Amino acid sequence: MRLIEDILKASKNLVDETEVFFAHSESISADLKQDKIAIGSKSKGSGIIIRVIKEGKIGVSCTDNPQTWKKCLDAACASVKYSDPLPWKGLPEPSDIDQTPLAYDKRIKTDPALVIDLIEQLKSGSETYKADITSGSASAAVSGHTIANSNGLIYSVTGTQVHVSLEMISGQSTGYESDVSWNLDKLNPSKTGEEASFFAAKGQGGKEIETGTYDVILSPMAISQLLDAAVIPALSGRNVHTGRSVFARKIGEKVAGEKISLVDDPMDMRGIANCTWDGEGMPIKKTSFIENGVLRSFAYDLRTAYQYEKTPTASAVRTGQSGAPAIGNHNLILNGPESDIYNDKAIFVHDLIGAHTANPMSGDFSVELSSPFFTYDGELQDPIRTGMISGNIFDVLYKIQGCGSETRTLGSMILPSVRLSDISIIGRG
Amino acid sequence: MPVSYRYYDARRVTGEVTQIDIDNGRVEQAGTSFFDKAVIRVLGDKGWGILSVSGEEAEFEDLPDSFIKEAYSASQVTNIHIPIQKTPSMLHTVPAMKENPADVNLDEKVSILLDMYKSTEGPDIVSRRINYIEKDEKVTFSDCLGHSYTYNLCRCGFSVLSVASRAGVVQMGYERDHTISGLNIRHRQDLAREATDRAIKLLDAKPAKGGVLKAVLDPELAGVFAHEAVGHASEGDLVKEGSSILKGKINEQIGTPLLTIIDDPSIPEFGFCPVDDEGTETKQTRIIQKGVLKAYLHSKETLASIGDGDAGHCRGMPGVEPIVRMSNTFIENGDSSYDEIISECKSGILLKGSRGGQVDPGRGMFQFNAEYGYLIENGECTTMVRDVSLSGEILQTLHTISLIGNDLSFHPGYCGKGGQTVPVTDGSPHLLMDKAVVGGCEID
Repeated sequence: MRLIEDILKASKNLVDETEVFFAHSESISADLKQDKIAIGSKSKGSGIIIRVIKEGKIGVSCTDNPQTWKKCLDAACASVKYSDPLPWKGLPEPSDIDQTPLAYDKRIKTDPALVIDLIEQLKSGSETYKADITSGSASAAVSGHTIANSNGLIYSVTGTQVHVSLEMISGQSTGYESDVSWNLDKLNPSKTGEEASFFAAKGQGGKEIETGTYDVILSPMAISQLLDAAVIPALSGRNVHTGRSVFARKIGEKVAGEKISLVDDPMDMRGIANCTWDGEGMPIKKTSFIENGVLRSFAYDLRTAYQYEKTPTASAVRTGQSGAPAIGNHNLILNGPESDIYNDKAIFVHDLIGAHTANPMSGDFSVELSSPFFTYDGELQDPIRTGMISGNIFDVLYKIQGCGSETRTLGSMILPSVRLSDISIIGRG
Repeated sequence: MPVSYRYYDARRVTGEVTQIDIDNGRVEQAGTSFFDKAVIRVLGDKGWGILSVSGEEAEFEDLPDSFIKEAYSASQVTNIHIPIQKTPSMLHTVPAMKENPADVNLDEKVSILLDMYKSTEGPDIVSRRINYIEKDEKVTFSDCLGHSYTYNLCRCGFSVLSVASRAGVVQMGYERDHTISGLNIRHRQDLAREATDRAIKLLDAKPAKGGVLKAVLDPELAGVFAHEAVGHASEGDLVKEGSSILKGKINEQIGTPLLTIIDDPSIPEFGFCPVDDEGTETKQTRIIQKGVLKAYLHSKETLASIGDGDAGHCRGMPGVEPIVRMSNTFIENGDSSYDEIISECKSGILLKGSRGGQVDPGRGMFQFNAEYGYLIENGECTTMVRDVSLSGEILQTLHTISLIGNDLSFHPGYCGKGGQTVPVTDGSPHLLMDKAVVGGCEID
């Protein structure tokens, strides 16, 4: 690409190394307001993020107007001056990595007919149980990126994504569901509609419960929010080495129940945006953070690995607002003992209200339940009106008694439902 | 395709973001990035068509016809006729800044922050981080009715995080301040020190015990309460869609007569909007007046559809279509002093600071979390507690407020809705709630 060549050439004599990340995307969507499509949207855009390194100092800048790359390069070079140096060991060298897209479905185009069809499927599923649609949406996107650096590395990939979501209500009972995939065959809008209508319709007439300790089943959505609030930040190498992780100095120690594992497997087939390189162009690899309850590793991008003399784990992602590489995960998978978790009576929790308000350092949380039910005989039975679940997220890792056999992919996490024992619920009964 | 639009508007936001990250004494990042985004909305014969572009394509002086056509074509998937209300349009003057951050070079900002960093030292402190952000935006708005506005608005601010650890206990103190009134990082060592002092004190704080209690909310947390429990449920889009518990409740007494809640995008706080993002004049809306629900917050569309309230509350992120949002939301002063409130509480809990909150407005449930608190015993604050949250039902809770203080103060922050984050301010005096469901990590 000419643009990338120009940037690399222009920066050659200014800095030691340069990295250019160029991303572009095009999308289309349709939004439901109640049961009608009220908004149709199209969007297109691109952006570049330039990172430069000089004498171990890192500078970065981005712009969504690639034509103004000179200004962006100047800003990246200027910012080098302020950053403190680290023992930098270089951007990755090119390797003969397979650049075949792993998350591309050629049937997914920014075609109005496609999103209308997804909306129709959502709506037909939503008729399964009696409830009203409040809002919903369907979207399709085609995007791609190229990463290149001054070592001659240049990788490009294209990807697709389809997404549906639906919110429904019946009386004062609400139901929310969503689904996302790169592959049209893996998206099930009708099931999303059915589930949203189930939670709205069946959640009506719930009774209050007594404060006490209960067995609780957290849906993949609920457990993902708790992991996101404290466990994932605690696995970041940067947080570990800067005193912001309770996992620091616990490598080799027990931090979860015996059969619980937490693994980042970037190539797992269930992932929604698999790619053979990470946000810095490092060949991806599988990283076991927790193996049978024992803490094994943390996540490192290049700068953190170099600074603290650790092995990079190819954990850089570009999800932040600026697009600059940061530590993240690709497909974080929670594995535990599979069992028939719905056999014995428990409180099922579909969603949480306010999980982000948990204490990210200590892991303490107390948040409101969303769509809770008593479950027994293998099914969700009696709705519960309200309740607050509280405890410590790191303790939850010890309280997992079993995992459901089905998993869901939620962003960069692949999770089963989990059954927990001995969980505090504050009721209003 | 013939273009038979009923309305269009275009909003372009172009600007720079400067960020500084000081992490454990190291400057990890200090630099500037650039953005240029535009969103064009067309109301077709049925619903909305929206086109978002960025970079080179957003670089227009006069809105190109081709964009109107493309947005119109996007509206072809819609299948419901959407009416909109004609609204008054004008631009409030953006208040002058005391010190324009753009006039202070990066060298000086970094050195001020490094100086602030020094005051975060303390026993048992294991991690300290200071972040600075400055977003300088130029907004250009035009519509088919002949309105056209351009204004510049700079928002800047900083946050301080201190982490303390002792004997396996890890606690944090967090302070932040964001503003539209210019550079706010000079002489702020006290705020930085507060984050450190809090983290250390929290090491000895007791975990809170959950249950139904009398609770006093400090102005910051009470502001979040106004925002989460009332503000969102009064947003006209949610009311229209049927996902707000406040639907059909206009002129009903929904809370104590002591309670008045206002949203005002025209006051010069962090959520200030010189004009809203669809060109409507911004002004004060009294949502709840003496406990009676009086108004919803509206866009042109939701006002036309359900009435009761004011347009001028429609906001969007750069390049994204605007939706109904709060801006500066606050509870009006009552007449109780802080001492009266604590003494009247007798036995309960004082909740301070905010880690944010969330609401399900359809179900009418909200949740939010305090950073810390104190037990109130015999009308006095005693033991410090940590990790206290509060959840409840909107309609019940508004009746349980029994005293409202006379010490209104504002706290800037950010609010997320529909995937969009916008700057807001929440404000309130101290409040006493007679029956609050307080969550803590221990139960009886």
